[in-house]
Amino acid sequence: MDESWTLVNINRLIMKKIKNYIKTFLLWELWQGLSVTLRNFFRPSTTIQYPEEKTPQSSRFRGLHALRRYPNGEERCIACKLCEAVCPALAITIESEVADDGTRRASRYDIDLFKCIYCGFCEEACPVDAIVETRIHEYHMEAPGENIMTKDKLLAIGDKFDNLITKDKAADAKYR
Amino acid sequence: MSNDIIEIEVDGKSIQAKKGQMIIEATDTTSSYVPRFCYHSKLSIAANCRMCLVEVEKESKPLPACATPVSEGMKIFTRSPYAIAAQKATMEFLLINHPLDCPICDQGGECELQDIAMGYGRGISRYNDNKRVVKDKNIGPLVSTDMTRCIHCTRCVRFGEEITGAQDLGTVMRGEDMRIDTYVEKSIDHELSSNIIDLCPVGALNNKPYRYSARSWEMIQHETIAAHDCVGSNLYAHVLRGKVKRIVPRENEAINETWISDRDRFSYEGIYSDDRLMSPMIKKDDKWQEISWKDALIEVVEKLKAVDQKSSAFLASPNSTLEEFYLLTKLSNDLSINNVDHRLRVVDFTDQDNDPKIPLLGMNIADIEKCKQIVVIGSDIRKEAPIIGHRIRKAALAGTQIGVINENINEYFFDISAYLSGSIIKNLLGLLNVLGGESPKEMQDISKQIKPTEEHKEMAAILNSEGKGHLILGHLAINHSYASVIRTLSAKIAHLTGSELGFVTEGSNAAGAHLMGMLPHRGFAGASQEIVGKNVQEMTENSLDLLLLFNAEPGNDLPSFSFEKAGHSLVIAMTPYATEKYKMTADIMLPIGTFAETSGTYINCENRSQSFSVIANPVGESRPGWKVLRAIGSMLGMSDFEFESSEGVLDEISQKLNDMPASNIKPNYSTQDLTNSKNFLDSNLVQRTPMYEVDSVLRHATSLQLTPEACRSLAKYEY
Repeated sequence: MDESWTLVNINRLIMKKIKNYIKTFLLWELWQGLSVTLRNFFRPSTTIQYPEEKTPQSSRFRGLHALRRYPNGEERCIACKLCEAVCPALAITIESEVADDGTRRASRYDIDLFKCIYCGFCEEACPVDAIVETRIHEYHMEAPGENIMTKDKLLAIGDKFDNLITKDKAADAKYR
Repeated sequence: MSNDIIEIEVDGKSIQAKKGQMIIEATDTTSSYVPRFCYHSKLSIAANCRMCLVEVEKESKPLPACATPVSEGMKIFTRSPYAIAAQKATMEFLLINHPLDCPICDQGGECELQDIAMGYGRGISRYNDNKRVVKDKNIGPLVSTDMTRCIHCTRCVRFGEEITGAQDLGTVMRGEDMRIDTYVEKSIDHELSSNIIDLCPVGALNNKPYRYSARSWEMIQHETIAAHDCVGSNLYAHVLRGKVKRIVPRENEAINETWISDRDRFSYEGIYSDDRLMSPMIKKDDKWQEISWKDALIEVVEKLKAVDQKSSAFLASPNSTLEEFYLLTKLSNDLSINNVDHRLRVVDFTDQDNDPKIPLLGMNIADIEKCKQIVVIGSDIRKEAPIIGHRIRKAALAGTQIGVINENINEYFFDISAYLSGSIIKNLLGLLNVLGGESPKEMQDISKQIKPTEEHKEMAAILNSEGKGHLILGHLAINHSYASVIRTLSAKIAHLTGSELGFVTEGSNAAGAHLMGMLPHRGFAGASQEIVGKNVQEMTENSLDLLLLFNAEPGNDLPSFSFEKAGHSLVIAMTPYATEKYKMTADIMLPIGTFAETSGTYINCENRSQSFSVIANPVGESRPGWKVLRAIGSMLGMSDFEFESSEGVLDEISQKLNDMPASNIKPNYSTQDLTNSKNFLDSNLVQRTPMYEVDSVLRHATSLQLTPEACRSLAKYEY
């Protein structure tokens, strides 16, 4: 015979029904929920007011790319094309030439931001620390073609955020 | 033979080797790789890089594999800890002075030092002193130098000593101060010298025009054939995004071994010249206008339809492909135009009926080395066909007797047994006198006056010595004002001495042109023509109704071109370039592709046909020549012009050749009418085309035009 039909079990079921009936009148579950609210009311807040407030970033954050210069203003990039070779998304296109001073220079350095997966391999591969991924992650495109970061654009970003990039590089240097 | 084969053991596997072979040659037949820098199978053994040290059982020291002959029962260990320790130690020494500039070095990615350093180099250098720095040298516009990178393997030095014979490079100083130098400041000028770019295992000697323009790993390698001489060297073109970036040799022992001439290596620069014709153009009221391909073709077809067959002519460069020649002759046959030719610089046509079906060298290029005697007549052979020149040098070094009969004295880097300079015909007559042959009756008076000199006797002795000799007629003989006299006399000499008579023809496909009937007096496969058409001279010296120039530039390719007369014909030019001379003469210009932008077939001077495919994107709106001809053919409403590819054309050619009865026309120069040849002893009868001027692509190859060779000829060149 099924046990649920024993006398004890029938008693338990009746008691549970009575308890629930009383809890309904006392708004028990409401108070239970409000206690969570009350507890969190006194906790410190984790919400930030973006864009006025921002979360902290790692010095290794991989955002928008930049091309760097040496302190004397000379471009670092020597068009060795190692970043182009290592790029898993084939986002980088480089053309090289002999510069006026006889050195090797990139005549074209394009990164397609639609292709880029921000893996940072280009930065790893660069023998002269020319291409870097900066902390900048807030950017947008309005017209077709703006997704191509040309050499001039990349150098401009590098010039603008030179201090930040130098600081980040210095912070990371001891782990390399 | 069995005595020559011995058993040796390499890394525990027993293999067979030839007696006297070096260890490295034996191990190269197995899977055991021995690292090396200075060893090269085409060069002598120097054993100065010490990278190939291997362990040999019962030897107290590691031995250099490139300089140790194998012996019976030798046990060699290429990968034992002892051998690897020796190789690693050598590598460490080599890297002491080698700069760490791989990212900017053009050799990066294909560098032997880089590859071997990955296997045998240490991660960190233990060397803390100053690195050596060597000043770079300017050795001409073709080869760049970064001498700090040099590891002193001396491959380039040995190449100069052994392959070219022009000892341009050598080593100076010793030890730490040792460097590769030209002794005095000079450029390296030999026509094969740029092969040191491929030989250099590091980035010390590199390709100057290619400098910093691409990386080895990103280019696509295409097989192709050299388009500037009758040798047809095998090449690889390295192409990046549809643009040829450089040309390197493709090994073919039967033709070019591992070498190519500078001309074949650097001519690709001409493809990207500023002079390229970018779209079809038409001259209206003496002004050039761009028009669409469609309109241009309609225009050409209308002109061709309205033309008088007897007064129109087709002229094609001997560098055109077999397919282009075929379509041109098909077009001319359908239009009943007999005036077709490709012998653009030939002057004397009196004996053209006696020409062979295809002018060939008379032997395989590789067999030149086995010849007993070679006499080169009227040829700057080194400049005309550098690879044949190299083969002749190899033959000379192996003991072949070489004779040269030429107007002027050229520099050859090997022993020439007899050199007859001055009037070629006079010398041939003298030689014929010595040999006891009878001069042609028209010349007997003159022949009697010529006193045989010692040189004539020496030359006769060469030809009379044992073994079959070869007479090679070069460009100067073929383009001579009395070429028929030279041919007659040479044929007589060849007959008397039992030698073979061969030709080094102009352009890369003169043989193909002959076979396709791109001649006024012969048809397809040498069939004789009922009506003999005009030859080049007759076409270009007079005014015609219509002249179709297929990559033949008036003035440069056609020295006899009369701008006053022929220039006033209706000239349709199919050309890759829009030079001033085309603009002066042409009425319609259609852009066709250079050798890189078209597919096709070349037949070289040993009757070897070699096909190649398109390797580069077309420049501007240019189209392959065969496509243009095919379109014109279909638009003229001709049947059987619906080819879809150049292979389709080739299939039709080979089918037709199979169906043709083998008409084997032997050259027959014995019965010639030489009555017109009165002034043949005048000196200035040769027409010399400078080495880097022979075709339109070369004339636009900027780096080649900067070489001392080009500048020298420019000084002599008069327009």
